[in-house]
Amino acid sequence: MTDTATRATRAVTPPGDRRRRLNGGGPRAGTVIAFVTPFFLPFLLFYLVPVGYALWQSFRVVRRSGGQYGTSYTTFGGFEQYGQVFQNTEFWSSIGRIALFGIVQVPVMLFVALTMALLLDTPLLKLKAFFRITAFMPYAVPGVIAAIMWSYLYSPQLSPIVDLLGDIGLKPDFLGPGAILWSTANISTWLWTGYNMLIMFSALQSIPQELYEAAKLDGASNWAIAWRIKVPIIAPSIVLTTVFSIIGTLQLYAEPAVLRQISSNISSTFTPNMLAYAVASGNNYQQAAAISVVIAVITFVLSFGFMRLTSKKAGL
Amino acid sequence: MSTTITRTRLAVVAAAASIALLAGCSSSDDSSDKTSAAPCEPAKGKVTLQYWNTVPGMDKVVDLWNKKNPNIQVETKNISNDQYGTLGNALKAGKAPDLSQVGYDELPNLRTQNAFVDASACKEATAAKSKFVPWTWSQASFGGTGVFAMPQDTGPMALFVRSDIFKKYDVAVPKTWDEYEAAAAKLHKADSSLTMTFFDPNNAEWFNGLLWQNKAEMYSYADNKWQVNVESDQSKQVAEYWQKLISDKLVRTDLANGSTQMYAAYQKDQIASYVGAAWGYSMFRDNLPKQAGKWSIVPMPTWGTDGASGDWGGSTVAFMKGSKHLYESVKFNTWLNSDPEALALENKLGGLYPAANAGLKLPALSQGVPYYNNEKIFDVFADSSNKIDTSFAWGPTQKTVNLALQDAMAKAAAGDGTLTDALAKAQATALKSMKDQAIPATAGK
Repeated sequence: MTDTATRATRAVTPPGDRRRRLNGGGPRAGTVIAFVTPFFLPFLLFYLVPVGYALWQSFRVVRRSGGQYGTSYTTFGGFEQYGQVFQNTEFWSSIGRIALFGIVQVPVMLFVALTMALLLDTPLLKLKAFFRITAFMPYAVPGVIAAIMWSYLYSPQLSPIVDLLGDIGLKPDFLGPGAILWSTANISTWLWTGYNMLIMFSALQSIPQELYEAAKLDGASNWAIAWRIKVPIIAPSIVLTTVFSIIGTLQLYAEPAVLRQISSNISSTFTPNMLAYAVASGNNYQQAAAISVVIAVITFVLSFGFMRLTSKKAGL
Repeated sequence: MSTTITRTRLAVVAAAASIALLAGCSSSDDSSDKTSAAPCEPAKGKVTLQYWNTVPGMDKVVDLWNKKNPNIQVETKNISNDQYGTLGNALKAGKAPDLSQVGYDELPNLRTQNAFVDASACKEATAAKSKFVPWTWSQASFGGTGVFAMPQDTGPMALFVRSDIFKKYDVAVPKTWDEYEAAAAKLHKADSSLTMTFFDPNNAEWFNGLLWQNKAEMYSYADNKWQVNVESDQSKQVAEYWQKLISDKLVRTDLANGSTQMYAAYQKDQIASYVGAAWGYSMFRDNLPKQAGKWSIVPMPTWGTDGASGDWGGSTVAFMKGSKHLYESVKFNTWLNSDPEALALENKLGGLYPAANAGLKLPALSQGVPYYNNEKIFDVFADSSNKIDTSFAWGPTQKTVNLALQDAMAKAAAGDGTLTDALAKAQATALKSMKDQAIPATAGK
């Protein structure tokens, strides 16, 4: 990287300009481009262009000419696709389902993550490295693999957990219509708690020890230090993990898609992303594009809304 | 200076890149194909065909062809990961292969996407009609309006039964659906952990096979419109029948077809039968080796005295739009799907049950199968194959309809609504999805 950058700089900067550049002015375009291109080109090709294409598609409608298997073409349709998204009851029930999921799962997960981070940060706990690695480990498991693993643990035919609970007279139905949302939430929590914990934990690590000493001199208990000093200081990290979790929740796909293989209680429109995928697989790319754009807007509004709401308190 | 120049250059490159991409995308709108028959001229010199499929071992079959035909070489690509996604994207990009595997139920959908070319200008293609089981040709030729694909395999349905369980509880193997229900009640009464079969709400393809058996004519074309009749009396009869079995808890609804969980339930002797297709014979043989000798295959239960059977699955090899070698494609496609040597190899390596009449008489399909007590199970499937309604037709948005049907059937299985409601939902979805694709449609009478 550095090599390329230097070489690129040399190539565009005449030797005489060297002093001026050192003085802080002068054209550094070559350097800038060399550094920015590796990011900008993929960003353009794999982000801006697809997003632009989706936006463009979302304003198109299919028309057809002639006969039973007439020829299809697309034409400008204004907001027709968006109108359909807003009338689509399945879309709104998937949003509602995911909202319920998020309202419960995100706070539970972050609370557990915060508790674990605070515990790891106390001098009382032994074997810290072990606990830190163990808690983080599920994050290293790909989401699809985790979902497959849990789907075995949920299956009445195969699960040792279901068998054990059966032995003490319980008959849990983890894949039933009422439980399936929470079984999915459980997988997400298992996967992401360690990750969120680590973000909070590294924020805790950067708090200067002097603060704690001062607090102790003032007679603060460990509890008071955790609640009154640590949590407020790492509030920006908590906000950050919340925003990540909101985005993750709205984009939920892999876990329910895997569970769908063994439970018909996850419909093809269970989450907004699954709905978009189902619509696209039926060749209705324009409608799928409009759904994707609406999901993106909702994600944007919610995550930035949350950041604005909390920015003053969190000191962001 | 240099800043301005580079910045401008970069902007130009970026703009060119996006325009090229957008142009590449929008060009797909120009579907100039008019499904009229394409000319059928042999090429001069050597030709290489692309053939996409999802069949295990198909490369070996193609090797056999390539050895015999140095001037028509075929390259295969396995697209079983995402068959229709891969094909759809290739079509959009104008890079479809010459030939591709397409399921019968996806033929109308892909044809409305202008995916096929009509090969009826090739004599060999039209002459192939007599080589295939009638219903398969009817679907591949869209009721004889052209030759868009050659049938490859089918899934004639039959009933897989655990003879030992039926014997143990002294229950006769059912011949009609009424007897099937009575037997289900008897078995469940004798052992409450035992059910007759399972109903997989997420398997519209299977349910469609049951509808097909009862001659549910779901789609037709009249008055310049598709006539959608998913909610016919024949469909309702099937839906009400299975709804009753579900409500009476005579069938389970918690198992997905082919899942580990399903095999576990069979392994634990919890299920006594399986309404399956020809390709399913190897599923039980390979996944439940300990139950060898306990299974028999008998004709599918019938509706009253009507002996009609159903089909579940199977595929064609379609002639794709953009192929420059139609003549050679027809030659290869005909060989691939009707030559006894090719069919024998496909059956051996890929487990395909042939759509060709010649295939039904293959030596491998005339022998007893050890797993099934050396019964000649393929005689049952061959008989079933000939009793499948030839006028059944699929809709142009079948996949979307299937998904909606599944979601509604799952609700019914969970006690929210009935299977008849699911048919209503499928009917509404069919009309809506066809409207979205600008396909003229109306509710049939």
